[in-house]
Amino acid sequence: MNVELSGLTRRFGRKTAVAGVDLSLGPGVFGLLGPNGAGKTSLLRVVATVLPPTTGTVRLLGHDPAQARERRAVRRRLGYLPQSLGYYPNFTVVEFVEYFALLKEVPPGRLARAVATAVERVGLGGQARAKLRTLSGGMLRRAGIAQAIVNDPDLLLLDEPTAGLDPEQRVEFRSLLREFGAHATVVVSTHLVEDVGAACAEVALMHEGRVAFRGTPAELIGHGEGSGAAGDAPLERGYSAVLGAARAR
Amino acid sequence: MRLVRLFAASRRMPAAVLTLAGCGVALSLVLRWTAGVTPALALVLVGAAAAVVGAAMQSPFDESERATGPRLPLLRLAGALGLTAAAYAALAAGATAGHLTSGAGGLLRDTVGLVGVALFAGGLAGANRSWTGVLAYVFLALAAADNGWTTPWLWPARPPSDTAAALCATAVFLVGAGVATVGTVHPRWMKPVVLRAAPRLGG
Repeated sequence: MNVELSGLTRRFGRKTAVAGVDLSLGPGVFGLLGPNGAGKTSLLRVVATVLPPTTGTVRLLGHDPAQARERRAVRRRLGYLPQSLGYYPNFTVVEFVEYFALLKEVPPGRLARAVATAVERVGLGGQARAKLRTLSGGMLRRAGIAQAIVNDPDLLLLDEPTAGLDPEQRVEFRSLLREFGAHATVVVSTHLVEDVGAACAEVALMHEGRVAFRGTPAELIGHGEGSGAAGDAPLERGYSAVLGAARAR
Repeated sequence: MRLVRLFAASRRMPAAVLTLAGCGVALSLVLRWTAGVTPALALVLVGAAAAVVGAAMQSPFDESERATGPRLPLLRLAGALGLTAAAYAALAAGATAGHLTSGAGGLLRDTVGLVGVALFAGGLAGANRSWTGVLAYVFLALAAADNGWTTPWLWPARPPSDTAAALCATAVFLVGAGVATVGTVHPRWMKPVVLRAAPRLGG
């Protein structure tokens, strides 16, 4: 298993963002769904090693990130796109991706190729020399995805990766996710259930810091059948039905 | 070297060095033309230089950068040390224009100590707010000079030969440099205490 979470809780003062989550994930694309404030981002930040858990244990890629040395080993094999991407506006796309490649200790002999490949994979080859300040929101998001994948990570964490992407870009992005999911663990937090249906082999739906549902997209669709839950698409109906049941408890 | 260059550019360090040079020029003008208020104004300029060093620790990348390997803390430390050296060099060059009452040794002590204050305040409140700590400290130091307070922790008010004051300034610098290296006042993974701005929850 690449991700093993046991009794994971994260509190901010009195607010409990993640409330005792147990999760084991191997290779594949895993979708994290849920309404605003459900705890998806907090859970992803803990797995990204940028936020310590309040209680519970975390093992990532066979390492314990609570130990500084092991945390470094995890970070070399980690790709992370946070919900709000910070960037230096005067960097070009290539400089931005190269900076992260160097921080992630991509070997010098592979550096140029790794950067070029990452930029091409997100469809920014034509803008490789463009300054970040000149890019649109969708292009910036793709540059953010490029920095996350430049080290060919074994654990890829993406928080709202398709925000700002147009439909064609989203289709290409889902294809990229499936490619990575063949050998790596990819966790995608999103509000867009169609992304989950198209790219994820498995999905979890979070509600108030807990995992209210875990299964395949087909199983989530099954929850919506005949339930009368709101939603235009089958996945949306399943989402609404599971969420409605969780709220009723 | 490529990583160092990109790191320095992302922190706007070239602009920071230019601003530090400006502080040095301002100090030389102060020493030439304002003999009566020189020590106070000189301390304000040293504080300004320290605040520039503190502000240059601001990362534009935030979490995506923090989730990377072990090179980042070393870059942060090298950046803090390099800019501290640049700050002292610029101020010392400016000080050659006239007579600075604290002398070269006092200037070094004050610069190093105030940079330490800036770096520590940056770890506590965010690098872009590090100037608040410097400002508060400069006010306290000026008050100490006016009121005859003798604590070595307010080292600018002590004579340049005061060993205890020099040790306190050095200690504060070491703590500040350590904080700048880690990136915050506490190791993030070890203590689930949030001292910076409230994080975004969930979603």
